[in-house]
Amino acid sequence: MRYNDKELQALSRQPAEMAAELGMRGPKKGSVVKRRLVKLVVNFLFYFRTDEAEVGWWGGPKLLEHCRVIHEEPNSFSISFLEDPERKYHFECCSEEQCQQWMAALRQASYEFMRRSLIFYRNEIQKMTGKV
Amino acid sequence: MKLHRKSVLRFFRGYRTQAPDREGILLKKGARNTSYQRRWFILRGNLLFYLEHQADHTPLGLILLENCQVEPRLGATEPYAFTIRTPGGEGGRAYRLAAENPEELRAWLWALAGATWTRLAELLRPLEAQYRELCQAAGQEPGSPPEDCGSLAIPRTLFSFQELHEHFGKEIRMLQAVHRQFQEASDNGGSRSPTGGGEAGTQQLC
Repeated sequence: MRYNDKELQALSRQPAEMAAELGMRGPKKGSVVKRRLVKLVVNFLFYFRTDEAEVGWWGGPKLLEHCRVIHEEPNSFSISFLEDPERKYHFECCSEEQCQQWMAALRQASYEFMRRSLIFYRNEIQKMTGKV
Repeated sequence: MKLHRKSVLRFFRGYRTQAPDREGILLKKGARNTSYQRRWFILRGNLLFYLEHQADHTPLGLILLENCQVEPRLGATEPYAFTIRTPGGEGGRAYRLAAENPEELRAWLWALAGATWTRLAELLRPLEAQYRELCQAAGQEPGSPPEDCGSLAIPRTLFSFQELHEHFGKEIRMLQAVHRQFQEASDNGGSRSPTGGGEAGTQQLC
């Protein structure tokens, strides 16, 4: 499947919805935690080592659709994708508060979730005001 | 930068049972080969996929639509032509596409103009704020949108006047540009008019 690399790079440099240095661990057993700059841009999750968005062991920027975000131990959460729920990418935050912020942001980043939200709010507003 | 293809392909395939935002045939000019190829395009969210055939399991390619400029292309060899210009500085691309008739052109321009995540977020923000204010005024606990997709039918027609105004504003500018193209074509004795297009096309746009 072809795509333009530069488009993805441009996206990674856009102002992010969330950006922070987090501990990350891949899905394989015995993976080591690495600290990386993690960036949420629209519905894509990037991570960076230096300035360049890195690929390496975690397979590249991820599209956050059909993604499940789970609270793991305190300060930690994982993401996995609906068709492969065992394959979890783990994140360690420096506080429970940061953990909750990231979990909420990742859940709300999905385009499909935003669409459902639009309908939900519109319907609720109409119910409460009687106006469209 | 390598993309995590799996997450994108899962999204593409997982939604095969759910209707996309828009799909259909578009002509696409090759990057190196300058002839137009017929491709099946599928728009889902802020991603535009193109396939060699409608039933293909894997797309040929993907276009990320954030920060793109979509505009009709006047004076192209194909009528109903438009360009999707992607960012990326010098590395950004201009995808040269063409619809097969004026209705398709208008529908695609409309769909692509409204497809970005950023635009959806802009629509969502004031609605969410309004909802929370209303709940507060009513002394009611605000609810949350459903987590699950379910079988929510998405009524694409129920837009507020504000949104319609904004959207039609864009559409009108685009259609005016396309209309001018047809005017020129018929003024020039229809030398570049599509067969059976020309006058009829212009009238339909009016």
